[in-house]
Amino acid sequence: MTTFAAETWYLGLRAWRRFYRVPANPFSIVLYPLIQLFVFSQLFKDIVQLPGFGASGGGDGSYLAYLAPGQITFTVFFAVSWSGSNLLYDYRNGMLDKLRATPVGRYAILAGELVPLFIECMIMAGAILVLSLLLGARIETGIPGAIGILLLSGAFGVAWAGTSFVPALLTKNEQATGTLSILFFPIAFMSTAFVPVALMPDWLRVVNDWNPITFVIEAMRALMTVGFDWGAIGRALVAIAALGLVLHSITLWAFRRLTA
Amino acid sequence: MTGAPGSSVPATVEVEDLVKVYPGGTRAVDGISFRVAHGEFLGFLGPNGAGKTTTIRILATLLRPTGGRARVAGLDVVANAAAVRRRIGFATQTVTIDQMATGRENLALIGRLHGMSGAELRPRVEELLELMGLTEAARKLAGTYSGGMRRRLDLASALVHRPEVLFLDEPTEGLDPQSRLALWDELIRINRAGTTMVLTTHYMEEADRLCERLAIIDHGKIVAEGSPAELKRSIGADSVTLRLVPPGPAGDVDADALAGAQSAVSQRLHGLAAITEVEHISDGIRLAVRGADEVAPEILRRIDVDGVRVYGMSMAGPTLDDVFLKHTGRRIRAEEADQVISMGW
Repeated sequence: MTTFAAETWYLGLRAWRRFYRVPANPFSIVLYPLIQLFVFSQLFKDIVQLPGFGASGGGDGSYLAYLAPGQITFTVFFAVSWSGSNLLYDYRNGMLDKLRATPVGRYAILAGELVPLFIECMIMAGAILVLSLLLGARIETGIPGAIGILLLSGAFGVAWAGTSFVPALLTKNEQATGTLSILFFPIAFMSTAFVPVALMPDWLRVVNDWNPITFVIEAMRALMTVGFDWGAIGRALVAIAALGLVLHSITLWAFRRLTA
Repeated sequence: MTGAPGSSVPATVEVEDLVKVYPGGTRAVDGISFRVAHGEFLGFLGPNGAGKTTTIRILATLLRPTGGRARVAGLDVVANAAAVRRRIGFATQTVTIDQMATGRENLALIGRLHGMSGAELRPRVEELLELMGLTEAARKLAGTYSGGMRRRLDLASALVHRPEVLFLDEPTEGLDPQSRLALWDELIRINRAGTTMVLTTHYMEEADRLCERLAIIDHGKIVAEGSPAELKRSIGADSVTLRLVPPGPAGDVDADALAGAQSAVSQRLHGLAAITEVEHISDGIRLAVRGADEVAPEILRRIDVDGVRVYGMSMAGPTLDDVFLKHTGRRIRAEEADQVISMGW
């Protein structure tokens, strides 16, 4: 186990360096969430006038607080959709072979790619939180809660990574990886990212209730607007774990199939 | 001889009836057996598609064989893959380095993955950088290195953990002549220092110069085995090449004139016992001649008649290409277009 951790560390370090050494990457990672949040918050700010916004309604800052978790989820989706291609890059240029000829555990190779993804998700979440605060939102749980939100986004990103890794490993094609990852985007909308459950049509409500993303969003939302709602946080962690288990099992199968 | 069948010293690499059939049905390796003794430099020589890369990838534990067995350093490559990996270094056909990492970081990563501690790793990395002449460029990103530098870095990364056996898949592929010579010297040096080397190549000169022993491969089978000198001696004939078309661009060859000249020459030389083979080539004719030094004057005398114009002549001792021709009926064409590298997992 400790070897796995050490190997993941060194491979993760390598993958992280590969990411930040391209100036466009850290630049985009910080700028994109800011743009996204700003646009959506201005676009939808009157939505709080709708009845059904209930406890989280009223006042400028609160829609930002309402919106932020969903925005974070969106950015995680983007970060994940890019990550599968990195795996293919190594596959194509022979690096995967070189790594496999060393004693490194196969799964450490996958895990190494998850490290920069985790960090990217946290950075994007951080950018959104900072901008939200600047625009008037408040985080009820202060710094500890903010850190909790960052960790939840990182964990969610790692769990969600399968949606990009599996297409990559099965198609071995960067374009297909990107376009297949996009198929998952509507799932972000079928959640409480933008509107509370009360405003959803019945069929959407059903989807929403089973959507793991909603659990993650609600936990973050609670941390921002209410306090340490351990129930919500617990449900989010279970949702992330379940999601991760399912998606990573498929990912491992695809990886094993490729490296037979 | 160590490693010879029946000896008590186990060979460093032992392969028995190795078979690899790819999912589509291609029999890339069709029953190969050989041994490599400790410290030996073995080469696999053959055209592209012969099964060399597949064989070496099986030995490097990257591919599972369909049949047969292979052992490296006494360990089975399938059952004990992890243990084998600790003892081997592998350099792929295309140079594989992490472009977004520095030279130093590239070497350090492989070292770390082999479980080397910081204290061991740091001096070893510096030693290798020095050996490969990369010390000054060490802190620059590997993506900025020239082709030759990248190859040397790639080779260095296969040596970080001091492997017992080094597997090299077409190590000088695509290199300019100067870098090729430099790399050859490096490989010989590494071998002399005690590392067993197994190399695949389709360059005759490389096989000739570097390898103590060769296994000539075609269509997944070993067709000949022995030292370069032994193999060449087995031909027993030199080659005499006669140019029958005027010098000029290859496209200008008059096919009829050439065919006419070729058959005229063949007729004239009919009956000369020393000539063991006649081969029609794109600009003339190539003869396998026993003792060419003595027979050449007679050859020239016979064809010095009206209607046959010889534009040039050269003589050479047997080459590995001749060996290949003898065993397979074809030549290894070194200028054959490279196949797409299938990263067959």
